[in-house]
Amino acid sequence: MDINDVLRILKERCAPQLTVRTLPLGETVVELTPEQLRPAVETLIGQCGVCHLSTITGDDTGREIVLLYHFWEGVGLTLRVLLPREQAVISTLIDLIPGAAFYEREVTEMLDIMFEWHPMSTHLFLPDDWHSDAPLRKQVQDA
Amino acid sequence: MSELIRSLVAWLIFPGFGFLFVCALTVEWIDRKLLARFQGRVGPPWYQPLADWIKLMGKEDILPVGASEWVCAALPIVSLAASLTAVLYIPVAGHTVSAFEGDLIVVLFLLSVPTLAYFLAGWASVGVYSLLGGNRSLLQYLAYEVPFLTALSSPAILSGSWSISQIVEWQMRTIWGALVLPVGFGIGVIGLIGKLKRTPFDIPKAKSEIVAGPLTEFSGRKLALWRLAIGVQTVVGIFLLVNLFLGGSRLSIVLPVAPVFALKSLLMVLLLSTISALYARLRIDQLSDLGWRVLAPLALAQIAVTVWIAP
Amino acid sequence: MPKTVVPIGPQHPLLKEPLSFLLTVEGERVVDSSLRLGYVYRGIERLCQDRNYTQNLHLFERVCGICSYVHTLVYCQGVEALLGLQVPLRAQYLRVLMCELERIHSHLLWLGVLAENMGLTTIFMYAWRERETVLDIMEELSGGRVTHAANVIGGVRLNPKVDQTTFDQIAARLRGMVAQVEEFQDMVLNERTLQARTQGVGLLSAEQIRRYCVVGPTARASGVDVDLRRDAPYAAYDRLNVRVITHQAGDVWARTLVRVQEVLVSMQVCQQVLSEMPAGPLTVKVPRRVPTGEVVSRAEAPRGELIYYLRSDGSDKPARVHIRTPTLPSLATMGEQLRNINTADVSAVLSGVDLCIACADR
Repeated sequence: MDINDVLRILKERCAPQLTVRTLPLGETVVELTPEQLRPAVETLIGQCGVCHLSTITGDDTGREIVLLYHFWEGVGLTLRVLLPREQAVISTLIDLIPGAAFYEREVTEMLDIMFEWHPMSTHLFLPDDWHSDAPLRKQVQDA
Repeated sequence: MSELIRSLVAWLIFPGFGFLFVCALTVEWIDRKLLARFQGRVGPPWYQPLADWIKLMGKEDILPVGASEWVCAALPIVSLAASLTAVLYIPVAGHTVSAFEGDLIVVLFLLSVPTLAYFLAGWASVGVYSLLGGNRSLLQYLAYEVPFLTALSSPAILSGSWSISQIVEWQMRTIWGALVLPVGFGIGVIGLIGKLKRTPFDIPKAKSEIVAGPLTEFSGRKLALWRLAIGVQTVVGIFLLVNLFLGGSRLSIVLPVAPVFALKSLLMVLLLSTISALYARLRIDQLSDLGWRVLAPLALAQIAVTVWIAP
Repeated sequence: MPKTVVPIGPQHPLLKEPLSFLLTVEGERVVDSSLRLGYVYRGIERLCQDRNYTQNLHLFERVCGICSYVHTLVYCQGVEALLGLQVPLRAQYLRVLMCELERIHSHLLWLGVLAENMGLTTIFMYAWRERETVLDIMEELSGGRVTHAANVIGGVRLNPKVDQTTFDQIAARLRGMVAQVEEFQDMVLNERTLQARTQGVGLLSAEQIRRYCVVGPTARASGVDVDLRRDAPYAAYDRLNVRVITHQAGDVWARTLVRVQEVLVSMQVCQQVLSEMPAGPLTVKVPRRVPTGEVVSRAEAPRGELIYYLRSDGSDKPARVHIRTPTLPSLATMGEQLRNINTADVSAVLSGVDLCIACADR
């Protein structure tokens, strides 16, 4: 399916005010609110046949937390979600895409983001006895 | 007095401990060298097995908590003792220390003792991998032992005697066992590979699955004795097959006995090493399948044919 | 029957890098498994924020020992895109050459490891001996066998003595390897003990592949036809013929066949690159500062899709780099692959996935 068709379907079904950017190397970035994420992913999987999630990037810009869901189906499509730094909560995707489990766990332990309804589990990469702050949060860098 | 000295020489030097020790190291070296050449490598120098053994004897000897020290120390010695006793009845280069009607059965029984000792080693040296390896070694024993025993009975039935020396004499008069009983010989070789736990039947000590199987927790002197026991078991097994199927030390033309026997033994080592280099390791259920569905019926068929053609 | 917990790792002859599987075993059946990663976690995503773009080249090359070149390739591609640079054509061809050589050596390494884990030590020796030819070629081109330092932002940096004669010799040596690799293919197709250990083991359907987002030869062996070299060509791949190998069986045997055939395809691509090598400069002048921006860069590593997300905030250090290596989704399928299998099949399953734990942990 063409990327423009995908964007059109997303616009119709989940996000009437869709902001679209293109990055160098051809990645299309779509801005969404946290509430629009799950319906968007459901649409992508159900209507557009886009179900390969490459990875989830978590990024602390200092002002807010950015979550990027990188999809790939012939072309790259990234869903960009902004979360407030104090209360970084978003719904999980593991019931739609089981492969998202590792990516969500990594983002949780690195950036202290909570995924609603993701079963709490042990650290994925960090040692079991890591009790300091999440490594990729900005305050750790200033210290 | 001279009887005592003769016995001591037989037990300790030839064909007893000293001779078998040297043979075990030699066979190990030939095996490793052949394997290396098949794999495009250089291979170890001739003194490598001896050097390895000496080094191992000097290493730290520890066992996990809960393992029985004296059982673990006794098992390799029991294994070694059984193989050494078995060789007393097997003609080595024409000399048999002792022979009687039925000594084939005694030898086959004695050669089963190392396998059971190996299995017990897995249980006595408490450890997850050892227990798994011990279980597998017992399953493997059940898979190959019945065809092996059946196949090794066929030369006895054919020659009309259950004494190994008599079987050799019979082959001297008529024909090599392997030529008239090819299926029996084949199953004998496969059974020997299973008994010696060589690839493709090195399932109990599968390095990539259960580290080292029953011997995982052994180290130092105990492990050195185990390696010696396995080496001696290899040599005795080869001698047994050479005598039962390849005519022992006799050839139809008159030649010195010792080189003929050595040559035939070397042929067996070559056969075993080639098979080890060629195949991947089977799974235990695949081996049980092979043992019960292919080897056992073939061995029984061989016996039926032997009984039919026996004079 | 009592249940035992068998630890596979962190140290185990099966694993070349530390990883911990705890298998709950009942007799000879695995009933449950748990996975613990992170033994080789070095915090590279955090470390790279304290180093400038050039120093990070050194860092990202060491994410993995086997696929080190493609990591630097993806990183350089991303930074060059942010800078708006056009890398010279000769450099792009050389990048393809090094990538394909790396693919060959990675697959041969894996073939040896699989054979060793199956007890077929002979093939381990043969495969790694062939791999030596490739490592020697890479050393001749770049000066390093494992880490090459051959990519720079803006192009490649190779041994200056390399010229057309060297390329002709390399082509000849690669041609000499083809016979042995075809024998490996023959072996996979015909050798019965290997087939007995790998067929029907570690089955993953195309549906499972898509749900876990598995990439690379593991996915292609289950019939999922994805290869970034053909679907989203980078470097000079748009000018080259890359045949994508897929298979339908979805078991360890299919993965073996796919990888061995990919080696043959890679050798053909190398021959094409060496014969069509254009002349020209190797690097292009690089501006001092990377402008603000973000980029998502992808490439087909030997194990599958490698993706880097880069964000620059205008300073000389990257603001955020996120790496997802191709082994990670394959590890996610381990729970399914290890369910209810024979204990002896564990080595086949773990080998079939082509683990690169240093990559997965970063």
